[in-house]
This record gives sequence, C-alpha cells and structure tokens, in this order.
Amino acid sequence: MVSRQPLPEALEGLRVVELPCLDSMPFLAAAMAAKSFADFGAEVIKVEPPRVGAQERQLGPFRDDRRDLETGGLHLFLNTNKLGVTLDLENSSARGILFSMLEQADVLFNPNPPSLNARIDLSGRSLTERFPNLIVVSLTPFGEDSQYRNLRGGDLVATHMSGVGYETPWHQVTDLATQPPLKLAGRQSDYLTGYTGAAAAMVAVFDRTRNGLGQHVDVSQWLAMVSMIRPNLGGSTHESPRAPAYQRLGIRKKAGAQWVYPCADGWVSFNAGTQRFWNGWKTAMGQPEWMEAEIFATAADRAAHVDVIEAAIHDWLSTITKKEAFQRAQAQHVPCFPVHTVREVAENEQYRARGFFQEHDHPTANKVRTPGAPCGFERTPWRIKRPAPRLGEHNRKIFGERFGLDEVELARLAAENIV
Amino acid sequence: MTKRLPLDGIRVLDFGWIFAVPHATAWLGALGAEVIRVESMRAPDLVRFLTGTDGVIGPNLSGVFHSINFSRKSLALDLSWPEAQEIARRLVQCSDIVTENFTVGNMQKYGLDYESIRRLKPDIIMLSGTPLGQNGPFARTVGFGPTTQAFAGLCHLTGYPQSFPCGIGGTWPDFAVGTAMVFFLLAALHYRDRTGEGQYLDLSMAEMVTTMIPEAMMDFFFNGREQSPQGNRASSMAPHGVFPAAGEDRWVAIAIASDAEFVALCEVLGAPSLASDNAYAHLPDRLNNVEMLENEIAARTRDIDRDELVRRLRERGLAAGPVYNTLELAADQAFRASAMMVTREHGESGARAVPGLPVKFSAIEPDYRGAPRIGQHSDEILDKLLGMDAEEIARLKESKVIF
Repeated sequence: MVSRQPLPEALEGLRVVELPCLDSMPFLAAAMAAKSFADFGAEVIKVEPPRVGAQERQLGPFRDDRRDLETGGLHLFLNTNKLGVTLDLENSSARGILFSMLEQADVLFNPNPPSLNARIDLSGRSLTERFPNLIVVSLTPFGEDSQYRNLRGGDLVATHMSGVGYETPWHQVTDLATQPPLKLAGRQSDYLTGYTGAAAAMVAVFDRTRNGLGQHVDVSQWLAMVSMIRPNLGGSTHESPRAPAYQRLGIRKKAGAQWVYPCADGWVSFNAGTQRFWNGWKTAMGQPEWMEAEIFATAADRAAHVDVIEAAIHDWLSTITKKEAFQRAQAQHVPCFPVHTVREVAENEQYRARGFFQEHDHPTANKVRTPGAPCGFERTPWRIKRPAPRLGEHNRKIFGERFGLDEVELARLAAENIV
Repeated sequence: MTKRLPLDGIRVLDFGWIFAVPHATAWLGALGAEVIRVESMRAPDLVRFLTGTDGVIGPNLSGVFHSINFSRKSLALDLSWPEAQEIARRLVQCSDIVTENFTVGNMQKYGLDYESIRRLKPDIIMLSGTPLGQNGPFARTVGFGPTTQAFAGLCHLTGYPQSFPCGIGGTWPDFAVGTAMVFFLLAALHYRDRTGEGQYLDLSMAEMVTTMIPEAMMDFFFNGREQSPQGNRASSMAPHGVFPAAGEDRWVAIAIASDAEFVALCEVLGAPSLASDNAYAHLPDRLNNVEMLENEIAARTRDIDRDELVRRLRERGLAAGPVYNTLELAADQAFRASAMMVTREHGESGARAVPGLPVKFSAIEPDYRGAPRIGQHSDEILDKLLGMDAEEIARLKESKVIF
C-alpha cells in the first residue's frame, strides 16, 4: 500500500543527490545507499543518463521477461521514494545544472570510478572544495585514495580480494580443484557497500552538525568487504607465526559438525559445535547410543571424528524434513534454521506475520511486491510513499520549478540529449 | 581546541555480544560515542574464548574479540542479580542509546525491555538485533549469522551451478548487519535530536539479508521463478568467474563487462581467435555457451602465475584480482597502504594490529582505543556515572554482582 498519512520520518529535511554509475560494470552501491535515505524520509534526487537510464533499469529481472526500462525489478526495488531526473554528466551544461542542485544538497552519493570523476570534475576533493557544506560520498571499487584507485573492480573482484570468497563455501569444500572459491549470490558486495556508504554519510551528517562543514567520505567496495572478515585479520596478528585462519579443506576437521547439511526435503543449517549445542543436538536426535562414545566427548574429539559424525547426522537428517529438524533442534535451543528456497522465503509465516514484504502501486507495473523494511522503526517506520520514478519524471519539477529553467531551455536541452 | 568527534557526547549502553552489535558499537565508539559494553563474568561473550594470543586462550587474549571490541569501556555486571539489573536501569537513565542482541525475551526478564526502560528515559533509543525479529511465530528461536543467511534465502542461492547450497564465509551476515545498524541508529538519533523523541528499533537479521537479494525476490514475485545457484557467474556479464592459476589452490577472479573487454582478455590469454569465434563474440553468445567458454579460459590460465596474470589483465584495464586468503590480503601493498590496520594495546595481548573502519573521512580522525579487559572499567563507571563510593563497589564485587 502507498501510504498517504503524514507520519513522522527519521531523515525528513535531508537532501540527497544520487549519481548514476557510468562504467560498463554494474555497480548498485549508490542506488542502495540512496534508497536507505529515501525510504526513511530524506528527499533523494536520482540522476540518470538520458534515454538509457540507470544501470539497474537494464538489469531486470523483468515481468514475463519483457525488457522495459520502467518496470525492471531492480529499478522498482532500488528506486522507491526517489525523484528522478536525467542529465548527461559528460556535458558541461548538464554539470552546471548538477552543481546548482549540489548547492542545496546535504549528501551526494557518487559511484563513479576516480578516473572518470577526475575527468569530469566530480572528484571528492574538488567537490568538497566547491561545496564546503556538502557531504560527498564516493563509492568506488578500491577507494578514491587507494593505490588501486585506477584499477577496475566490482562485486566479483571485491569479494575475492577481500578473503570472503576464499571462505565460501563455508566448511563444505571436499575437493580443491573442482570447488573454487565462490562469490555470494547476486550483488552482495554492491549492497553492502551501499549500506556502508549510508552509515558513513550519517556519521558525516553528525560531524557537520558538530563542526559546521561537509567533507569527502571515501568508501571502498574492497575494504567494505574486508571489514566482513575482520576477525581473521585481527586474529592473525595475535598469533606468531601467523597462521591462516581458514583452510578451505581443513576447516571441517577443525570445527566439527556445523552449518549446511541435506535432509529429507532440502537442507538445514545448524551449529552443534559447542558442548551446549552438541548436548542439545543429541537430545534432538533422541539420544542415540553412538553419540555417547568417548571419542565424541569434547569439541576437539568431535572435530577429529567429523567424518563419522557427519555420516550419522546425514542418516538421521535423511529421515526428517527441514521443518522437523528446525523444530526439534530449536526445542533444545540449538541454532538451526531451514535453508529456505526463494519460494519459502516469499511465503514463510515469520515474514508474513511481520509484514516484511510490501506491495505498492506503480503506474505501469501495477502492483509491485518488494522486500520491505531492513529494520523496524517504531516511531518513524520505513514506508513507500512513491514508486520508483519514470525516466526523467521529475525533470520539469526539479529543473523548472526549483532551478528556474524555462520550457524553451528545457526543450533545447532535451533536444540535445543533455537532459 | 581539538575538533570534536561526530558522536562526542553520545553514550551507548551496549548489551550486545558475539559479532553484529559489537561491530556496530565499534563504529560508534571510534567516532566519539562513549560505549559501555555490559558483559557478564559468569556467562562471558564466547568470542573472548574463540582465539587467543600466541597460542594462549584467555578472556583478555582473544584476537577475534579485539578485532571487534575496540573503542569502548567494559562493565562486568551479572544481570541475573536484581541489584545488577538496578544498576543497568540507572545507567539507562544517563544513556542515549541501548543496544542488545539477546534471544527474544531476555531483556524483559531483566526488566530492561524497551517498555520498561522508556519509562526511565522517555527519549531513549533502543535497538534489538535478533535473527528473526521480536514478533512472529519463530521470534524466540536461536540463531547465528550462518543460520540466518539460510533462513533469509541467501544460502540456497549461493553455490556452484547444479550443486548444493553453500554457506557463506566470515559468519556472514553478522558484520554486514552490524554496519547497517550504524545507519539505523544514527537515523534514529538524528530524529531524536530534531524532535526530542526516542524510539525502538526491531531489527530482524534475516529480513535485512533478504533486502540484499532483490534479484531473486523480484524474479519470483514477477515470474514465479525460483533462481538457482550460479557459482561465480553473473546474469549480465561473461566470463565472470574464478579461474585457476599455476600452483595448488591459486585463483584469479575475472569479470568481463563488454565485448571490447572480451577481446582484450583473449589477447592477454594469447587466444585472439576466441574473440572472433561466433560462439563467444557477443555477450548473448557468451552467456549461452558460458561453460564451454570457462573451460577455454581455464585451459589458458592454469599455467600462468597468479599475480603475473592479474598484472597483465589489469594492464589492459580489465576487472581482475587475485583470490586472497586473509594472510595474502594482509600482505597486499595497497591494503597495507590503506592504513585500515591500526595498532593499539588490547586486553592483556599487548600492542596488536586490528582492522579499523573500512571508510575514510576527510575531516574525521577516528578514536581507536584498544579493546578492554573484561570489567576493566567497572569501578570507573560506577563511580563517575552512578556516584558509588569505593566501599559500595567493593561490596558489589564481594557479592559477585560486578567484577
């Protein structure tokens, strides 16, 4: 439902400009960062290239697989609550319009690579000099100040250079040669970089309140992913000689029975590694005699005999469903969840009870269902007030009403493909 | 006068443990908030025992704990005592933010749930971060990051083509959720500063993860299609994969985003004829023949030194990188130059480097302080914030209410 009551909003009054990524590599971090602001009440103006639109419009998924710039799933999800304008950032008159928008903005999210930013005068440094009150958040593969700033990157490269890819699959590798390190499904590191940029932008908002000035916030997709495996990094500096925290093959032998296992109708994920969880898991399995053996007494014993344990657990799980395993383990306070398929996620009763998935109206896509609030806010709830904008939908409103471009001028810019 | 940190003057009473919430409060602490980590000596954070220092395990020696729990104070308070609960309630009254990630219902047991503490401090902001949120039929279940990624759909989508669902490394999504928590907390604080109103934040880690798989969810909602694992592939690029280099378990990640980039790749691999092959010349063909294409590429990468291959690919402006384990990452020149690793005195481990924030602010120098020993600041907090005298504090220690 598109709500029209004037509910209080957490970020009301903040003004955000989001730039499109003009690289050939899809990079959706700025779209996610700006969505976070828009969905909690900030005014977000999304700038897109004329005609082709932002990358996510091209990426689908499309209803009935029919390509359409206005109704792609990622566009409809990522751009809720935003105002949409078109500007060709390669063109200097378009950048003039952008600069007048930035005069009035609090936060800019810019996902373009440093080389492009330098060429078209959008680097963090030059923008913060020009607009001292503006918070310029650059989201780039390696960081605007990195030695690697001119290298290409993206979701795959960031995932695998961070060490996260090396640890995936988690505790499941049985053959090094045929099971290479693995990336996470979809575009996890893009969205993580978006949430990282959103958090950092709010930090800079507080800094501006305290100290009066904006600043450049340099967000690196690579380092955002590195931050996800921080325990390994700090753990290794505490050991001498430094040992790798994770061995793709050896970890199963070190950690014992945990994480993803098959059952009668799918898969479950659980942890029976600690003593308490092992005891609970035993009860869940009905206290079979084999589990009482001396060779399974401690966590280290169990890790050393993980093959035996896994075989027995496989046998047991093959007789029950994921829901049964979930219920039996949870009754003993053992962390165990079903590995949900997409359909099970869409239909599961927990999400339904909390109203997680939300439906809103869109002029051509009709009823659109999307993932909803990433966090429940009791007083200033996440909500969709407006569907994703049509390409250039708010050009007249923003360029005309707010920045005084008249119809003749707008028509000329449109004819020249500048807006 | 030195510049004020952005969260200077904000006090956070942090009941969080394990990974997600402590990671969020590490940001807040490094950016100027006074974070008071409440922990129990009777049931300590198990991360304090996950790893040690130079082979010795101990509550104040955990390298993993130190990587997450910098820039805060530690108050060791055994909340099973009513007197400890009363101390916690008095601390709420002089705090701005309360964070916790206990199993649903535990804070209520201690009289520290939101309904109780808002009566003591009406503008308090409280965040609870649990696997599945505070309400709903499964709210009271227990879970960790890796089980939560399974519930949320991410695990079933991650894996090799036609193979089993794969768990994701690094206890994903703990630190991703922790990072997002910083945004949610600061958004709520921003609102409080404008209106004087606090509020309750009910975060379901699973829901947060599901906001990060929109490709699959939207495909299901539009088309009823259930996407399946695609390995390292991408729907809009090919090749997009991890290819073997010379040596055991050495790999290179390569992402090719256009036909022109594919030509450059083929030249680097010494196989220009691949680029003109009808099976591969254009993206739709490469997507259709992706497995064959990957085999062609792997056959040409597997004898080249990893770093040499990466160098050649980067020279042509291609998106490529070595697949690193943690030690290789730590040795990477650009990583070292990023100064993300910061050395401080932690617990009883002495000076050790841990990763700081992943973001650089041009006008903020984060305040990194080493992770505390358990209970390191108990006396100081009870004295300064609650005005307790030494005799009272000694009595509380004697009766094991504090440590």
